[in-house]
Amino acid sequence: MKKLIITSALVLSVVAPAFAHHSPAAFEPQKTITLTGTVKEFRWQNPHSWIEVMVPNDKGQEVLWAFELTSPTYLVRAGWKSNTLKPGDKVTISGRPLKSGEPGSAIFTSVMLADGRTLGERPARLGGPAEK
Amino acid sequence: MTMTGRATIALVLAAGLAAIPATMLAQGRGQAAPPAPAEPLSALAPENLSKPRPKAPFDLTGNWFVDTSPGPDAWRFGPPYPKLTPKAQKEFDTGMKLLKEGKVYKDDIGQCWPAGLPLIMTRYWPTAMIQLPTAIYMISEFMNSMRVVYLDGRQHTDPDIVVRTFNGESVGRWEGDTLVVDTRHFRGDHHWMDQGGASIPAGEQLRIVERIRLLPGGKQLEIAYTMTDPENWEGEWKSTKRFNRVNDIDIHEVECLPDLNDHLKSTRSKTQVQ
Repeated sequence: MKKLIITSALVLSVVAPAFAHHSPAAFEPQKTITLTGTVKEFRWQNPHSWIEVMVPNDKGQEVLWAFELTSPTYLVRAGWKSNTLKPGDKVTISGRPLKSGEPGSAIFTSVMLADGRTLGERPARLGGPAEK
Repeated sequence: MTMTGRATIALVLAAGLAAIPATMLAQGRGQAAPPAPAEPLSALAPENLSKPRPKAPFDLTGNWFVDTSPGPDAWRFGPPYPKLTPKAQKEFDTGMKLLKEGKVYKDDIGQCWPAGLPLIMTRYWPTAMIQLPTAIYMISEFMNSMRVVYLDGRQHTDPDIVVRTFNGESVGRWEGDTLVVDTRHFRGDHHWMDQGGASIPAGEQLRIVERIRLLPGGKQLEIAYTMTDPENWEGEWKSTKRFNRVNDIDIHEVECLPDLNDHLKSTRSKTQVQ
């Protein structure tokens, strides 16, 4: 799994904290990983949504990754709907992983859907990254 | 004595006893019953709402979201931090040590404990405020945490009977164009001044005085916080935050449900240290 993270596209970007109910301190503040996998479950709920994605590792094994998103209140304003993702969808998804290197958890930053659309999390006026 | 005579005496004695106030009887047994406190009028009682009062200098009714333009850490109340007591310093040092290891120390909010003041106001969730002549009702969307700032002239509740809470008990008064809110009676366990960074506890002696101003144009409010807690730090901890009026969102039901963390692996991971 470690190898997968290292070989994944690493992108540096300044992001505001995507605030879940828990502390963001265990997650990388700036470094993001990008993984390609298959959606297992997408839950649309408060206080925040999540996407579970099965990602193949370098041994061909499927590994469960949970990407933690903000509340639907903000996701709607970033173009999301409750049916934006469904099980079986292929996605390329980015997020900030745990500093510890433990695989499987990331704070969501963006996703590229099968139709080519890319969705973020929330507009800048509600705590999202500054618009460029 | 005839039966009629005994009955007459019994009736007279019973009437006499009934006429003695209960407090006198209690005193007679050496137990002075304290007078029952007068029940204050509810902040929503029509008689309270309709009392004549000076017009409030501003109305905070609306939805407010902390201004994040100063940076992604705009929700935090430090650094700088005040000089901590040895007890709080020990917690702070433990939290910082674990932070460097990529771990989080005592993230009670992440385990569904209430955030409490002051964090509940700044934690990247909107707060709905409804201002009445007698009180301001504040509901954070985050876990629908409720806070009431009483404006009807009442005093803080007797510490011996108050029920301590994570948002405390807030009593406000107008000073010119500023609303000064004094909040006391906090719960002193599972209550923190930061989340997952500066692990500074909030104790029962925490007192927060907010000076609230609505800035010209009415689109931004400013809260200047002065926070004291001799159990955990020396002197006054000051911080000023701004909040933007948000007119296109409403708050919704937000609960920390028992299964929430089951799908968030980080909250069950080795990064969490209790």
